[in-house]
Amino acid sequence: MSNPQILMLSAFLAAVAIWLMLPRGGARGRWAGAALGAAALGLWLSRTHGLGHWTADGVFYALAAAAIVSAVGAVTSPNPIYCAIWFGMTLLAVAGLLLLVGAQFLAAATVLVYAGAILVTLLFVLMFAQPEGRATCDRVSWEAGLSAAAGIALVGILSAAVGSAVSPTIAAQSPQALAAGVLDPRQTARLGEELFGRRLIAVEVVGTLLLAALVGAAVIVNRFGGRRRDDQKS
Amino acid sequence: MPAAAKHPLFMHPETALLNNCLLVGAALFGLGAIGFLSRRNMIVMFLSVEIMLQGASLSLAAWGRFHNDFGGQTFVLFVIAVAASEAAVALALILTLYRRRCSLDVAAWHFLREADQPPFRDAPLPDEPAVGEPDPPLAPAGVRPRRPEEESQWRPEI
Repeated sequence: MSNPQILMLSAFLAAVAIWLMLPRGGARGRWAGAALGAAALGLWLSRTHGLGHWTADGVFYALAAAAIVSAVGAVTSPNPIYCAIWFGMTLLAVAGLLLLVGAQFLAAATVLVYAGAILVTLLFVLMFAQPEGRATCDRVSWEAGLSAAAGIALVGILSAAVGSAVSPTIAAQSPQALAAGVLDPRQTARLGEELFGRRLIAVEVVGTLLLAALVGAAVIVNRFGGRRRDDQKS
Repeated sequence: MPAAAKHPLFMHPETALLNNCLLVGAALFGLGAIGFLSRRNMIVMFLSVEIMLQGASLSLAAWGRFHNDFGGQTFVLFVIAVAASEAAVALALILTLYRRRCSLDVAAWHFLREADQPPFRDAPLPDEPAVGEPDPPLAPAGVRPRRPEEESQWRPEI
Protein backbone atom coordinates (compact mmCIF):
# COMPACT_ATOMS: atom_id res chain seq x y z
CA MET A 1 0.00 0.00 0.00
CA SER A 2 1.17 3.50 -0.70
CA ASN A 3 1.61 6.17 1.91
CA PRO A 4 -1.72 8.06 1.52
CA GLN A 5 -3.66 4.81 1.73
CA ILE A 6 -1.88 3.85 4.95
CA LEU A 7 -2.67 7.29 6.36
CA MET A 8 -6.36 7.02 5.45
CA LEU A 9 -6.62 3.51 6.86
CA SER A 10 -5.01 4.52 10.14
CA ALA A 11 -7.25 7.61 10.38
CA PHE A 12 -10.35 5.45 9.87
CA LEU A 13 -9.19 2.95 12.50
CA ALA A 14 -8.36 5.74 14.94
CA ALA A 15 -11.76 7.44 14.50
CA VAL A 16 -13.59 4.15 15.15
CA ALA A 17 -11.32 3.45 18.13
CA ILE A 18 -11.97 6.81 19.75
CA TRP A 19 -15.69 6.54 19.06
CA LEU A 20 -15.64 3.16 20.83
CA MET A 21 -13.70 4.53 23.80
CA LEU A 22 -15.64 7.76 24.38
CA PRO A 23 -18.36 7.47 27.03
CA ARG A 24 -21.70 7.15 25.26
CA GLY A 25 -24.12 6.31 28.03
CA GLY A 26 -24.49 2.61 27.47
CA ALA A 27 -21.82 0.00 26.88
CA ARG A 28 -18.41 1.13 25.73
CA GLY A 29 -16.08 -1.08 23.74
CA ARG A 30 -13.05 -0.13 25.78
CA TRP A 31 -10.74 -2.96 24.91
CA ALA A 32 -11.87 -3.26 21.31
CA GLY A 33 -11.25 0.49 20.99
CA ALA A 34 -7.82 0.18 22.60
CA ALA A 35 -6.84 -2.63 20.21
CA LEU A 36 -8.03 -0.70 17.15
CA GLY A 37 -6.29 2.42 18.45
CA ALA A 38 -3.01 0.55 18.92
CA ALA A 39 -3.24 -0.71 15.33
CA ALA A 40 -3.95 2.82 14.09
CA LEU A 41 -1.06 4.23 16.15
CA GLY A 42 1.31 1.60 14.73
CA LEU A 43 0.27 2.36 11.15
CA TRP A 44 0.50 6.11 11.77
CA LEU A 45 3.97 5.82 13.31
CA SER A 46 5.15 4.35 10.00
CA ARG A 47 5.17 7.98 8.79
CA THR A 48 7.99 8.80 11.19
CA HIS A 49 11.64 8.51 10.25
CA GLY A 50 14.62 7.09 12.08
CA LEU A 51 16.66 9.54 14.11
CA GLY A 52 20.02 8.06 13.17
CA HIS A 53 20.77 6.11 16.35
CA TRP A 54 18.84 3.33 18.00
CA THR A 55 18.82 4.92 21.48
CA ALA A 56 17.36 8.15 20.11
CA ASP A 57 14.80 6.08 18.21
CA GLY A 58 13.86 4.08 21.30
CA VAL A 59 13.50 7.14 23.51
CA PHE A 60 11.46 8.95 20.88
CA TYR A 61 9.04 6.10 20.20
CA ALA A 62 8.55 5.39 23.91
CA LEU A 63 7.81 9.05 24.67
CA ALA A 64 5.59 9.54 21.62
CA ALA A 65 3.54 6.44 22.40
CA ALA A 66 3.23 7.50 26.05
CA ALA A 67 2.12 11.01 25.06
CA ILE A 68 -0.50 9.86 22.56
CA VAL A 69 -1.86 6.95 24.61
CA SER A 70 -2.20 9.10 27.73
CA ALA A 71 -3.82 11.90 25.72
CA VAL A 72 -6.41 9.39 24.48
CA GLY A 73 -6.91 8.29 28.06
CA ALA A 74 -7.35 11.86 29.27
CA VAL A 75 -9.90 12.58 26.55
CA THR A 76 -11.93 9.39 26.86
CA SER A 77 -11.90 8.48 30.54
CA PRO A 78 -15.37 8.86 32.10
CA ASN A 79 -13.89 9.72 35.50
CA PRO A 80 -12.51 13.28 35.76
CA ILE A 81 -9.91 12.21 38.34
CA TYR A 82 -8.47 9.71 35.86
CA CYS A 83 -8.62 12.41 33.16
CA ALA A 84 -6.42 14.66 35.31
CA ILE A 85 -3.97 11.84 36.09
CA TRP A 86 -3.74 10.80 32.42
CA PHE A 87 -3.13 14.44 31.53
CA GLY A 88 -0.26 14.53 34.03
CA MET A 89 1.29 11.61 32.17
CA THR A 90 0.86 13.39 28.82
CA LEU A 91 2.64 16.32 30.34
CA LEU A 92 5.61 14.27 31.54
CA ALA A 93 5.90 12.63 28.10
CA VAL A 94 5.81 16.01 26.34
CA ALA A 95 8.46 17.31 28.76
CA GLY A 96 10.60 14.32 27.79
CA LEU A 97 10.09 15.10 24.09
CA LEU A 98 11.11 18.72 24.75
CA LEU A 99 14.30 17.38 26.36
CA LEU A 100 14.88 15.23 23.28
CA VAL A 101 14.51 18.33 21.11
CA GLY A 102 17.09 19.99 23.34
CA ALA A 103 14.91 22.50 25.19
CA GLN A 104 16.06 21.78 28.74
CA PHE A 105 14.68 24.88 30.40
CA LEU A 106 11.29 24.43 28.74
CA ALA A 107 11.05 20.81 29.88
CA ALA A 108 11.67 21.85 33.49
CA ALA A 109 9.33 24.85 33.22
CA THR A 110 6.55 22.71 31.75
CA VAL A 111 6.75 20.20 34.58
CA LEU A 112 6.95 22.91 37.26
CA VAL A 113 4.11 25.06 35.91
CA TYR A 114 1.76 22.27 34.96
CA ALA A 115 2.32 20.18 38.08
CA GLY A 116 0.66 23.00 39.99
CA ALA A 117 -2.11 23.16 37.40
CA ILE A 118 -2.74 19.42 37.72
CA LEU A 119 -2.88 19.63 41.50
CA VAL A 120 -5.36 22.50 41.35
CA THR A 121 -7.47 20.59 38.84
CA LEU A 122 -7.45 17.51 41.05
CA LEU A 123 -8.55 19.68 43.96
CA PHE A 124 -11.37 21.08 41.86
CA VAL A 125 -12.50 17.62 40.85
CA LEU A 126 -12.46 16.42 44.46
CA MET A 127 -14.30 19.55 45.58
CA PHE A 128 -17.00 19.19 42.94
CA ALA A 129 -17.32 15.42 43.21
CA GLN A 130 -20.92 14.33 43.00
CA PRO A 131 -22.01 12.67 46.22
CA GLU A 132 -24.50 10.38 44.49
CA GLY A 133 -22.36 8.49 42.02
CA ARG A 134 -21.03 9.44 38.64
CA ALA A 135 -22.66 12.42 36.94
CA THR A 136 -24.63 12.08 33.74
CA CYS A 137 -22.37 14.55 31.99
CA ASP A 138 -19.39 12.23 32.47
CA ARG A 139 -21.25 9.25 31.09
CA VAL A 140 -22.50 10.83 27.86
CA SER A 141 -20.57 12.72 25.16
CA TRP A 142 -21.84 15.18 22.62
CA GLU A 143 -21.90 13.48 19.20
CA ALA A 144 -19.06 11.06 19.95
CA GLY A 145 -18.86 9.78 16.38
CA LEU A 146 -18.90 13.16 14.67
CA SER A 147 -16.33 14.75 16.96
CA ALA A 148 -14.01 11.74 16.71
CA ALA A 149 -14.26 11.89 12.91
CA ALA A 150 -13.62 15.65 12.87
CA GLY A 151 -10.62 15.49 15.20
CA ILE A 152 -9.03 12.54 13.42
CA ALA A 153 -9.59 14.22 10.04
CA LEU A 154 -7.70 17.21 11.46
CA VAL A 155 -4.83 14.94 12.53
CA GLY A 156 -4.79 13.28 9.11
CA ILE A 157 -4.69 16.57 7.22
CA LEU A 158 -1.95 17.92 9.49
CA SER A 159 0.08 14.71 9.05
CA ALA A 160 -0.24 14.88 5.28
CA ALA A 161 0.82 18.54 5.39
CA VAL A 162 3.85 17.68 7.55
CA GLY A 163 4.75 14.88 5.15
CA SER A 164 4.72 17.21 2.16
CA ALA A 165 6.38 20.18 3.90
CA VAL A 166 9.22 18.30 5.57
CA SER A 167 10.81 16.54 2.63
CA PRO A 168 14.20 14.78 2.82
CA THR A 169 15.66 17.37 0.46
CA ILE A 170 15.36 20.45 2.68
CA ALA A 171 18.66 21.54 4.18
CA ALA A 172 19.27 20.73 7.84
CA GLN A 173 21.63 22.46 10.24
CA SER A 174 25.02 20.90 10.79
CA PRO A 175 25.89 19.62 14.31
CA GLN A 176 28.58 22.32 14.61
CA ALA A 177 26.09 25.10 13.90
CA LEU A 178 23.63 23.62 16.38
CA ALA A 179 26.29 23.32 19.07
CA ALA A 180 27.02 27.02 18.63
CA GLY A 181 23.29 27.83 18.56
CA VAL A 182 20.36 26.24 20.36
CA LEU A 183 22.36 23.28 21.73
CA ASP A 184 24.97 25.50 23.37
CA PRO A 185 25.96 24.23 26.85
CA ARG A 186 25.04 27.72 28.12
CA GLN A 187 21.65 27.31 26.48
CA THR A 188 19.51 28.56 29.36
CA ALA A 189 21.63 31.66 29.79
CA ARG A 190 21.36 32.37 26.07
CA LEU A 191 17.60 31.88 26.18
CA GLY A 192 17.49 34.44 28.99
CA GLU A 193 19.60 36.85 26.97
CA GLU A 194 17.21 36.43 24.06
CA LEU A 195 14.16 36.93 26.28
CA PHE A 196 15.39 40.01 28.10
CA GLY A 197 17.19 41.44 25.08
CA ARG A 198 15.38 41.18 21.78
CA ARG A 199 12.02 40.15 23.26
CA LEU A 200 11.93 42.47 26.26
CA ILE A 201 8.72 44.24 25.24
CA ALA A 202 6.95 40.93 24.61
CA VAL A 203 8.02 39.68 28.05
CA GLU A 204 6.61 42.82 29.64
CA VAL A 205 3.36 42.40 27.74
CA VAL A 206 3.08 38.78 28.91
CA GLY A 207 3.67 39.91 32.49
CA THR A 208 0.84 42.40 32.10
CA LEU A 209 -1.36 39.66 30.68
CA LEU A 210 -0.67 37.44 33.71
CA LEU A 211 -1.53 40.30 36.04
CA ALA A 212 -4.73 41.04 34.13
CA ALA A 213 -5.72 37.35 34.24
CA LEU A 214 -5.09 37.23 37.98
CA VAL A 215 -7.20 40.34 38.62
CA GLY A 216 -9.87 39.06 36.25
CA ALA A 217 -10.08 35.69 38.00
CA ALA A 218 -10.40 37.36 41.40
CA VAL A 219 -13.12 39.69 40.09
CA ILE A 220 -15.06 36.87 38.44
CA VAL A 221 -15.06 34.74 41.57
CA ASN A 222 -15.86 37.60 43.97
CA ARG A 223 -18.50 39.42 42.01
CA PHE A 224 -20.34 36.63 40.23
CA GLY A 225 -19.45 33.60 42.28
CA GLY A 226 -21.48 34.31 45.43
CA ARG A 227 -24.91 33.00 46.28
CA ARG A 228 -27.33 32.77 43.41
CA ARG A 229 -29.29 35.94 42.98
CA ASP A 230 -32.61 36.40 41.25
CA ASP A 231 -31.71 34.23 38.34
CA GLN A 232 -35.09 33.40 36.85
CA LYS A 233 -33.80 31.95 33.62
CA SER A 234 -33.92 28.30 32.67
CA MET B 1 26.20 7.61 5.91
CA PRO B 2 27.01 8.25 2.23
CA ALA B 3 25.62 4.85 1.27
CA ALA B 4 22.46 5.49 3.25
CA ALA B 5 22.13 9.00 1.85
CA LYS B 6 21.45 7.58 -1.60
CA HIS B 7 18.36 5.77 -0.37
CA PRO B 8 15.25 7.71 -1.47
CA LEU B 9 13.64 7.49 1.97
CA PHE B 10 16.75 8.58 3.85
CA MET B 11 16.18 11.65 5.95
CA HIS B 12 18.80 13.68 7.78
CA PRO B 13 18.46 13.05 11.55
CA GLU B 14 17.66 16.71 12.22
CA THR B 15 14.93 16.72 9.57
CA ALA B 16 13.63 13.40 10.89
CA LEU B 17 13.42 14.83 14.42
CA LEU B 18 11.44 17.81 13.11
CA ASN B 19 9.13 15.52 11.14
CA ASN B 20 8.49 13.20 14.09
CA CYS B 21 7.89 15.97 16.61
CA LEU B 22 5.50 17.76 14.26
CA LEU B 23 3.55 14.51 13.83
CA VAL B 24 3.26 13.98 17.58
CA GLY B 25 2.26 17.63 18.04
CA ALA B 26 -0.45 17.25 15.40
CA ALA B 27 -1.79 14.13 17.12
CA LEU B 28 -1.92 15.83 20.52
CA PHE B 29 -3.68 18.84 18.99
CA GLY B 30 -6.31 16.68 17.28
CA LEU B 31 -6.94 14.55 20.37
CA GLY B 32 -7.42 17.67 22.47
CA ALA B 33 -9.86 18.97 19.87
CA ILE B 34 -11.86 15.73 20.10
CA GLY B 35 -12.02 16.07 23.87
CA PHE B 36 -13.11 19.69 23.70
CA LEU B 37 -15.84 18.92 21.18
CA SER B 38 -17.25 15.79 22.75
CA ARG B 39 -16.89 15.94 26.53
CA ARG B 40 -19.51 17.65 28.66
CA ASN B 41 -17.63 18.06 31.93
CA MET B 42 -16.15 21.57 32.08
CA ILE B 43 -12.97 20.42 33.86
CA VAL B 44 -12.31 17.78 31.20
CA MET B 45 -12.89 20.38 28.47
CA PHE B 46 -10.29 22.58 30.17
CA LEU B 47 -7.80 19.69 30.26
CA SER B 48 -8.43 19.04 26.56
CA VAL B 49 -7.51 22.64 25.73
CA GLU B 50 -4.30 22.17 27.71
CA ILE B 51 -3.50 19.07 25.61
CA MET B 52 -3.96 21.15 22.45
CA LEU B 53 -1.54 23.76 23.83
CA GLN B 54 1.00 21.02 24.58
CA GLY B 55 0.88 19.86 20.97
CA ALA B 56 1.45 23.40 19.72
CA SER B 57 4.37 23.90 22.16
CA LEU B 58 6.08 20.73 20.98
CA SER B 59 5.81 21.82 17.33
CA LEU B 60 7.22 25.27 18.12
CA ALA B 61 10.19 23.83 20.02
CA ALA B 62 10.92 21.40 17.15
CA TRP B 63 10.86 24.22 14.57
CA GLY B 64 13.13 26.30 16.80
CA ARG B 65 15.71 23.54 16.86
CA PHE B 66 15.45 22.94 13.13
CA HIS B 67 16.10 26.60 12.32
CA ASN B 68 18.75 26.88 15.05
CA ASP B 69 16.93 29.85 16.51
CA PHE B 70 15.82 30.67 20.05
CA GLY B 71 12.56 32.13 18.75
CA GLY B 72 10.82 28.76 19.01
CA GLN B 73 11.69 28.30 22.67
CA THR B 74 10.70 31.90 23.40
CA PHE B 75 7.32 31.25 21.83
CA VAL B 76 6.87 28.14 23.97
CA LEU B 77 7.51 30.22 27.09
CA PHE B 78 4.84 32.65 25.96
CA VAL B 79 2.47 29.73 25.32
CA ILE B 80 3.07 28.54 28.89
CA ALA B 81 2.33 32.04 30.22
CA VAL B 82 -0.86 32.32 28.18
CA ALA B 83 -1.87 28.83 29.34
CA ALA B 84 -1.39 29.90 32.94
CA SER B 85 -3.59 32.98 32.40
CA GLU B 86 -6.18 30.85 30.66
CA ALA B 87 -6.14 28.35 33.52
CA ALA B 88 -6.74 31.08 36.10
CA VAL B 89 -9.69 32.58 34.23
CA ALA B 90 -11.13 29.19 33.22
CA LEU B 91 -11.05 27.81 36.75
CA ALA B 92 -12.62 31.01 38.09
CA LEU B 93 -15.41 30.69 35.52
CA ILE B 94 -15.89 26.99 36.31
CA LEU B 95 -16.15 27.85 40.01
CA THR B 96 -18.72 30.56 39.28
CA LEU B 97 -20.80 28.38 36.98
CA TYR B 98 -20.66 25.49 39.44
CA ARG B 99 -21.94 27.68 42.26
CA ARG B 100 -24.88 28.77 40.12
CA ARG B 101 -26.00 25.32 38.98
CA CYS B 102 -24.22 22.83 41.25
CA SER B 103 -23.16 20.93 38.17
CA LEU B 104 -20.09 20.77 35.97
CA ASP B 105 -22.27 19.87 32.99
CA VAL B 106 -22.18 22.43 30.18
CA ALA B 107 -25.68 21.29 29.24
CA ALA B 108 -26.89 23.02 32.42
CA TRP B 109 -26.38 26.24 30.47
CA HIS B 110 -28.35 25.21 27.42
CA PHE B 111 -30.68 28.20 27.75
CA LEU B 112 -27.87 30.23 26.18
CA ARG B 113 -28.67 28.51 22.85
CA GLU B 114 -30.09 30.36 19.88
CA ALA B 115 -33.76 31.28 19.94
CA ASP B 116 -34.96 28.76 17.38
CA GLN B 117 -33.11 25.75 18.77
CA PRO B 118 -35.03 23.09 20.71
CA PRO B 119 -34.12 22.70 24.41
CA PHE B 120 -31.66 19.98 25.31
CA ARG B 121 -33.04 16.88 26.99
CA ASP B 122 -30.92 14.12 28.44
CA ALA B 123 -31.97 10.65 27.42
CA PRO B 124 -32.57 8.41 30.45
CA LEU B 125 -29.50 6.37 31.30
CA PRO B 126 -29.34 2.86 32.72
CA ASP B 127 -28.03 2.76 36.27
CA GLU B 128 -24.40 1.86 36.68
CA PRO B 129 -23.76 -1.38 38.54
CA ALA B 130 -22.68 -0.61 42.09
CA VAL B 131 -19.09 -1.47 42.92
CA GLY B 132 -18.41 -2.93 46.35
CA GLU B 133 -20.34 -2.40 49.55
CA PRO B 134 -22.12 0.94 50.05
CA ASP B 135 -20.72 3.08 52.85
CA PRO B 136 -22.61 2.70 56.16
CA PRO B 137 -24.77 5.73 56.94
CA LEU B 138 -24.01 7.86 59.96
CA ALA B 139 -26.50 7.91 62.80
CA PRO B 140 -28.51 11.18 62.65
CA ALA B 141 -27.65 13.54 65.48
CA GLY B 142 -28.43 17.15 66.40
CA VAL B 143 -31.00 19.45 64.87
CA ARG B 144 -31.79 19.37 61.18
CA PRO B 145 -30.77 22.73 59.68
CA ARG B 146 -33.50 24.73 58.02
CA ARG B 147 -32.98 25.19 54.28
CA PRO B 148 -34.64 27.94 52.29
CA GLU B 149 -37.47 26.59 50.15
CA GLU B 150 -36.08 28.26 47.02
CA GLU B 151 -32.67 26.66 47.44
CA SER B 152 -34.03 23.11 47.42
CA GLN B 153 -35.07 23.53 43.79
CA TRP B 154 -31.58 23.76 42.45
CA ARG B 155 -29.14 22.59 45.13
CA PRO B 156 -29.13 18.83 45.64
CA GLU B 157 -29.30 17.71 49.23
CA ILE B 158 -26.04 16.26 50.44
